[in-house]
Amino acid sequence: MNPYMVAFITGLTTGGLSCLAVQGGLLASSIGRQLEQDVIAQSAKNGKVNISIASQRTRRAIPILLFLIAKVISYTLLGFLLGALGSVLSLNSTVRAFLLIAIGIFMIGNALRMLNVHPIFRYFVIEPPASLTRYIRRKSKNDMDFFTPAVLGALTVFIPCGVTQAMMAVALATGSAIEGAAIMFAFTLGTTPVFFAVSLLATELGSRMQKTFMSFVAVVVLIVGLFTINSGLTLMGNPYSFANLFQSEKAAPPSSTTPFVSAEGDLTLAAENNGYFPGTLYAAAGVPVLLNIVTDNTTSCARAFVIPALGVETILPRSGVVPIEIPAQDAGTVLRFTCSMGMYTGQIIFNQ
Amino acid sequence: MTKRTFRVLDMHCSNCPMNIESIEDDLPGIFNISASYHKQQMVVEFDDSLVTDELILSAVKKKGYTAVPV
Repeated sequence: MNPYMVAFITGLTTGGLSCLAVQGGLLASSIGRQLEQDVIAQSAKNGKVNISIASQRTRRAIPILLFLIAKVISYTLLGFLLGALGSVLSLNSTVRAFLLIAIGIFMIGNALRMLNVHPIFRYFVIEPPASLTRYIRRKSKNDMDFFTPAVLGALTVFIPCGVTQAMMAVALATGSAIEGAAIMFAFTLGTTPVFFAVSLLATELGSRMQKTFMSFVAVVVLIVGLFTINSGLTLMGNPYSFANLFQSEKAAPPSSTTPFVSAEGDLTLAAENNGYFPGTLYAAAGVPVLLNIVTDNTTSCARAFVIPALGVETILPRSGVVPIEIPAQDAGTVLRFTCSMGMYTGQIIFNQ
Repeated sequence: MTKRTFRVLDMHCSNCPMNIESIEDDLPGIFNISASYHKQQMVVEFDDSLVTDELILSAVKKKGYTAVPV
């Protein structure tokens, strides 16, 4: 699965609910005012209050949509800036690995906070300054027009929920403005269906929904956190990450006709959208080996190829062949390779 | 002016303080509320001729939280 899909699903499953709890009140108060004014206008005209539930929902839908569109745009922009910041910091794979591990710890801390394990975990979430929340709050109570929900949606960028904060760190870790923007876009887009549905059906449900689903959200965040730490470990070439442990198990002794080794001993590895194939390559020990990485219309992060132990880091073209010279290795060496996000992995085993 | 601190143990997110602080717009006689998610408490500055502890507690309850005077 590519990282954008992961971001989208995170948004869909956990982001929507946790962000709704944080930002839903803002939306509710602005829509509530809209409805109030409608009722007043209507009753002034007809002399009685007569608004059907269906027309109330239609009236709610427009400001909610404006709110969400503005939110997606502002978070995409934020992702762009974070990614750009990440690229300025020129994150190499070691720094990125540490960043991923830090994000993982941050996510787990947040999950434990949501589960209310200990008050100390509250410090895993950043509290926006009071002056800012006061400004946003006042804005939401001012007189209502279609512009207000859009402005409020954009302002939610300053009151991110715990899951969003973790996703912001992921955007930073990509080290690319475009990828950072894409991550935040996918995530925020993922949050919109839940946001829209719950806001439309019951604008005031926010905080109650939060409490009910908090444990679910916390568990999902916990799992995502563990996977993120695992990605960090993989990127460091640590043999104890889940992927590497699993691969070592799988690595059967090579048969006499080991595939993907040409007569000269060159290796061929396909970098595809969903990973590297084959996952385990076999090479002769004691002699330099040429690893040819083939891409064919590959667009995922498999294009950012890393061999942590050798300090190899290269961006593969969308389509083409990139040869990488691997110096002679001792027999029994297991050389692990991964994409720069630590998501796709594989290994080269050197035999006599 | 009276200044009183309340514990609010059911703030569950970093933006709950924003919800609680909005009481200062709803309840005349309250000058300032500063709530903190990290500390799980709120400090209220109010005019005690207009506002009582009970009024504050019920306003907090309406927002979905439970305040306890310290």
